[in-house]
Amino acid sequence: MKTRIDSVDDVIASFARQGYICDQRTALAVYLAAQLQKPILVEGPPGVGKTELAKSAAAFLEAPLIRLQCYEGLDESRALYEWKYGKQLLYTQLLRDKLSSLLSDAESLEQGMARLGDLGDAFYSDTFLEPRPLLRALRADEPVVLLIDEIDKADQEFEAFLLELLSDFQISIPELGTVRARHRPLVFLTSNDQRELSDALKRRCLHLYIPYPEPDLERRIVAERVPELGDRLREQLVGFIQHLREQDMKKLPAISETLDWARALVLLHADSLEPDLVEQTLTLILKNEQDVTLARGLLPHWFSKQRAL
Amino acid sequence: MVDRRLHEFVRTLRGARIRISPVEAEEAMRAAALTGYHPREQFREALAQTLVKAQVDRACFDQCFDDFFQFESMRTDEGEEETDTGALPDTTDLDSGDLSETTANLIAQSPEQLTQSLAEAAAQQDFTAMQVITQQGLFARQLVMNMGMGAVDDDILRLAASPRRRDQNRAEQLRDWRQQVRERASQYVRRQFELHGRAHGRALREHTMRAAPFRELREYHQIQDLVRRMARRLAALHQRRQKRAKRGAMDARRTLVSSLRYNAVPVQLHWRERRKLKSKVYVICDVSGSVREAARFLLQFLYAMNDVLPQVRSFAFAARFDEVTDDFRQYNPDVAVGRILDRVSGSGTDYGYMFESFQQACGREIDRRSTVIILGDARNNDLPAGEEYLAEISRRARQVFWLNPEHPSRWNSGDAIMAKYEPYCRAARRCSSLNDLSRFADYLLRALNNSQ
Repeated sequence: MKTRIDSVDDVIASFARQGYICDQRTALAVYLAAQLQKPILVEGPPGVGKTELAKSAAAFLEAPLIRLQCYEGLDESRALYEWKYGKQLLYTQLLRDKLSSLLSDAESLEQGMARLGDLGDAFYSDTFLEPRPLLRALRADEPVVLLIDEIDKADQEFEAFLLELLSDFQISIPELGTVRARHRPLVFLTSNDQRELSDALKRRCLHLYIPYPEPDLERRIVAERVPELGDRLREQLVGFIQHLREQDMKKLPAISETLDWARALVLLHADSLEPDLVEQTLTLILKNEQDVTLARGLLPHWFSKQRAL
Repeated sequence: MVDRRLHEFVRTLRGARIRISPVEAEEAMRAAALTGYHPREQFREALAQTLVKAQVDRACFDQCFDDFFQFESMRTDEGEEETDTGALPDTTDLDSGDLSETTANLIAQSPEQLTQSLAEAAAQQDFTAMQVITQQGLFARQLVMNMGMGAVDDDILRLAASPRRRDQNRAEQLRDWRQQVRERASQYVRRQFELHGRAHGRALREHTMRAAPFRELREYHQIQDLVRRMARRLAALHQRRQKRAKRGAMDARRTLVSSLRYNAVPVQLHWRERRKLKSKVYVICDVSGSVREAARFLLQFLYAMNDVLPQVRSFAFAARFDEVTDDFRQYNPDVAVGRILDRVSGSGTDYGYMFESFQQACGREIDRRSTVIILGDARNNDLPAGEEYLAEISRRARQVFWLNPEHPSRWNSGDAIMAKYEPYCRAARRCSSLNDLSRFADYLLRALNNSQ
């Protein structure tokens, strides 16, 4: 992993090389997180590139990305580690003869128990341990970027369980003792604000809110990601999306929808936005029937204003 | 000095109700040390990312940041200050020949430099200690002294005592100049007071608001905000509790099936989800005279918690009885209360009639999932008590609570007849301030959760 980040501008430039265009505050957050060795909690509406940020950071730091997707009911055995029960059972079956011969010359019950005790440790060792994302991140030989995605979907209990990991970068496993991170990972947590996260968790993280992009930033992103799109069309497209975001909609189009739309328009060989074209492709950017109807109603007014300009 | 200013800033934020822990304050200092003060926007972002953990607080943070660091940035957004800078008497023609070195240095400074010295001197003082408005004079004097104006005072005294006319003129000029500097210092101190003193005052006021009787709360502006915040905190607390109570008994069938994978050893245990009984809450409020304010806050409180209390139906009565559920859902509390009063007010509350009407309106729906809350002073104007209706309601419902805004010693004095109703209630409590209300809401949510 790249250990030194020289400045905020260094982050911006490197992200840009990978095609992730970000503004000053996002770059600053990555810089601070790396310098202060604190996790970042990234919040914002869906589709503004929260997960993408972690991926870009991993590429920038030349570190592997380990991802943990959260969902309701996620527990330690899915997130941290699990014993390979099947393998343990299989081994005991296969070793049954070996075991009985080992125990046959035991003179007393205590002696047999003692021998079994030694064996017990063998069954709870690394051979039978199935590491899950969090443990993998802690035990990695090189520093990694750990992405804990959609933490707001996990239960409150899981959030509490993460606290030890986030502040001390260590975790306690009853059978193995405390596992400390060999190298401190750079941690990203993302949240869509489905529920309020606890104060304890927030306290341990830097906080970054990524809003819908400003027109200028959005144009740069589109230009970077869909370079085939003509200048004029890009201008119109971003203008239209920004206009939609001012409306009272159930689900506003995010940057990912803008990009999908731009790619579709390239495929359709469009060179400017026309009312018919927009109507037919509207479902690419709006995923809700009511929103689509609302947007259709806006079209004539928007186009007449465009023509006047 | 940097750390001290940042500490003061953190205290200002806390005063503006942003919760900041000591660890976060320390992080902010480390972040500020990394980024430096310039450019200003980057400095602001670094502080925001380390201190503000909820997007809703961001606007408040920005406001505080602009107010607090306005001196440092030399930005003047108040017109009066601009004119001040111009009015600073010209000291260039003042012969500084025999003046003390400190004085000579001070009067040689341009207005901008002077502002800078003022800020530097201010950094040595702790303005957060300022709590009452009368302390401003003291702090301003200290500030001027820190700038080294003591030397100027000495010079003025010396020149004024001199017999030479020219010296006396110079003393006069210096006095004018000193007056201007003093005014700038007090202006600075006033702004500091507005930042810190206000925060302190707000904490104090909130404390008073929580304990004040409902009828006095009208005088406070921020009361709605406070009620909402109290309710939200309580709701968040109980949401967590609900979650914990959800896991039910062991699911033998699923456990057995999954154990087949492991040679019939029950390695994984499966639990039944406990089914949640949806509790229904009925609130009946007396909205006559003095009880009205309590009713308004009770309803506001309950509706602010609607994610943990999804099914609340509310009723109001005075001379008439009517359902008011929609009024509180749709309008803000002030408007809602007005609408309700238009419909039900009149002379004389009649509890017997109220119970009868409630029985008719909802009697059939009341079952073991229902909780009925009655808010009133039980002053029945010597009309029939109608306790037989309450008895019936109490028999069908899971529980009945009575809230009375008056002190228990007066529950049965005059035309009040609490004694007749109390036997049918699981609990009767006094409810006369926001603290009482918050305690009751906590008790209610516990009662609702435990029994599921």
